[in-house]
Amino acid sequence: MNDRRVAILGGGLYRPGRVRYDNAEEGVAMAYKNMLEDFPKLDPREIEFVQSSYFSDHLNQQLCMSWIVQDYIGQHRKGGYRVEAGGSTPLDAIINAYFLIRSGQFDLVLVLGWEWMSEVDTATTNEFIASASDTDWDFTVGGFYNGYYAALETRHMQLYGETIEDLGKLAVRNRNNAVHNPFSQWRAEHGTGYVGLDDYYKDRIIAWPYRRWNCALISEGACCLLMGSEKMAKRLTSNPMWIAGVGLGSDSMRPGDRLVDWAYHGVYKADERLYPANVEKPKTPYPEMANFGFAREAAKQAYAQAGIRDPLKELDVAELFAPYDGVELCLYEDLMFCPRGEGKTLIRQGVVERGGKLPCQLSGGLTAFTHPVGATSLLQTLFLHWQLAGLVRKKLGDATLQVKNAKKAITTGHGGTGCQGGVIIYSKD
Amino acid sequence: MAKEPKIIEDKATPIKREWEEYARKGNWTVKGYEMVRALSGPGKAEECKEEDFMVIYRPHGVLYHHSYGLVSKFFKGLIEKHLFGTKCPKCKTVYCPPRVHCWNPKCRVGETEWMELPLTGKVHTFSVMLFSADAFLEMLPFVLGYVQIDGAHTALPIQVMTAPTDVFIGQKVRIRFRGKRKGDLMDIYAVPAKGQTMPENSCLHEYERNLEDLNRDLENTYAFLDKRFGIKKAQVERRWKAK
Ligand SMILES: [Zn+2]
Repeated sequence: MNDRRVAILGGGLYRPGRVRYDNAEEGVAMAYKNMLEDFPKLDPREIEFVQSSYFSDHLNQQLCMSWIVQDYIGQHRKGGYRVEAGGSTPLDAIINAYFLIRSGQFDLVLVLGWEWMSEVDTATTNEFIASASDTDWDFTVGGFYNGYYAALETRHMQLYGETIEDLGKLAVRNRNNAVHNPFSQWRAEHGTGYVGLDDYYKDRIIAWPYRRWNCALISEGACCLLMGSEKMAKRLTSNPMWIAGVGLGSDSMRPGDRLVDWAYHGVYKADERLYPANVEKPKTPYPEMANFGFAREAAKQAYAQAGIRDPLKELDVAELFAPYDGVELCLYEDLMFCPRGEGKTLIRQGVVERGGKLPCQLSGGLTAFTHPVGATSLLQTLFLHWQLAGLVRKKLGDATLQVKNAKKAITTGHGGTGCQGGVIIYSKD
Repeated sequence: MAKEPKIIEDKATPIKREWEEYARKGNWTVKGYEMVRALSGPGKAEECKEEDFMVIYRPHGVLYHHSYGLVSKFFKGLIEKHLFGTKCPKCKTVYCPPRVHCWNPKCRVGETEWMELPLTGKVHTFSVMLFSADAFLEMLPFVLGYVQIDGAHTALPIQVMTAPTDVFIGQKVRIRFRGKRKGDLMDIYAVPAKGQTMPENSCLHEYERNLEDLNRDLENTYAFLDKRFGIKKAQVERRWKAK
């Protein structure tokens, strides 16, 4: 690999909501305009490539929407294309832009992400999203992602003993963080009061073990990031956030196939051994339907590049892709914050809370901040940029969520039931 | 000259006829609109101002013809009340859902062989569904199970017809066929095998609160079904009580 470094120089956002009436290209344009305000020295013509990120064509009756968006903001003539991989779409877009810059092809890339998800009714939105699962097999029986993810969490719960209370703590934490984020959907809909576990228990179960509060929001919103080489970072910003490492991984399309997962078989022996004696072992014990193998694969690569040996100690702040709260708990294990089965311990010890050793989802995450699919990892990355640059008070008008002296951050992204995804490590220096 | 594809059994003409009408109904054309006054702008809600937006209503319906490919035998099997899987002759993996090619890298995409599987299995994991998409609302509440068929190494997503508070991981089940079958996984469902005792460590049953809350929201679901579809709780419970 060459030694070119790549940085997030900054970004802008269009506040996501359940339904927004500015349309997608207008929302992206406003996010872009918001970003330009932070870059007075940037001539928009200097941008060399536009990396677009959006998930669904079904949701808006429009193919090739990135062409509309790119021309709407006057960024046509130069190259541009979309990447798409379900929930992993925006993370893959950032990683692809990183490759484009790292390779030496470009010095300055604009990443645009958006999703407008309420043009059809909620049930249909769920149905369209579920068409990212195997429509001949998993789709047919009516579980959809709520059901698939709930079934994965049931399995992990049976094996490793986390409880509804653990999942509730994450749901409550996300809301109590989101009230300090004026861009969050939770705050727009529920105001700034804190909630507690009692409120969580009152919330409706939609797919046991998940209540509504444990599940990702449906959102319309946009975000953009400006990414550049060292040369551009020097010229355009005083607070770049460097990409210290990236990694990618994948697993089977159908989660039920992971019981005999030949690609993983025998690869993670320590995790295979951490299996309770009183539950019948499938042929391949890790990740099976309990953990996320893609995340382990991706984390190994990203940590190696970033020189991270003890992630829980060395990372200061995390924005994980957790469309369901159980996913976050499992990711602690797959990202090696703790051994397999100990995810619950990090919750019980307050490690992942605001003020904890490794605060996660300070933005409120996908369940209380927002989840406009194509923009989600961009929003989480922008949030981490504010953390590392010490801009939280300036951007949110409230310093509660600011992690002091944060130097290293992690974000993840994935699509399907962990079918494909990645990890990025960001660094202040 | 290559042989032309030929329809050798036709169970599709009625839906093809029915769907012609939808195509004529003018998909993609505007059928109505609303004017909506709503917040505009990128910033915090308190900083946004209102604008008037025209919102159009534009339908879109389609009928796909989709081949099940070389696993067609599995789905035709369901219609004929047989459950098939495939077995790799090299690494001996048994697949259900079937794969025509083995995915074990050591087998280099080797062809598998069809085999009939027994109508028994066990619940590998599950979720109790109290909400779903439109097409499934009337089926609520249901248990989405990933069931490992005896002799197979993988798990099949199917519904488990049981009281939602009775399902557990490791539960032995029998596979049943529905009376009307159309060629997808809804043609089958699982019912618990008789005479099993609930294991002490079942994650749904270990804590009293889990069952209390689930029962509370099951009642909410029954109330919804009654209000929306006029379906009574007793009717719903008959689905699993009769099995
Ligand atoms: Zn094989």
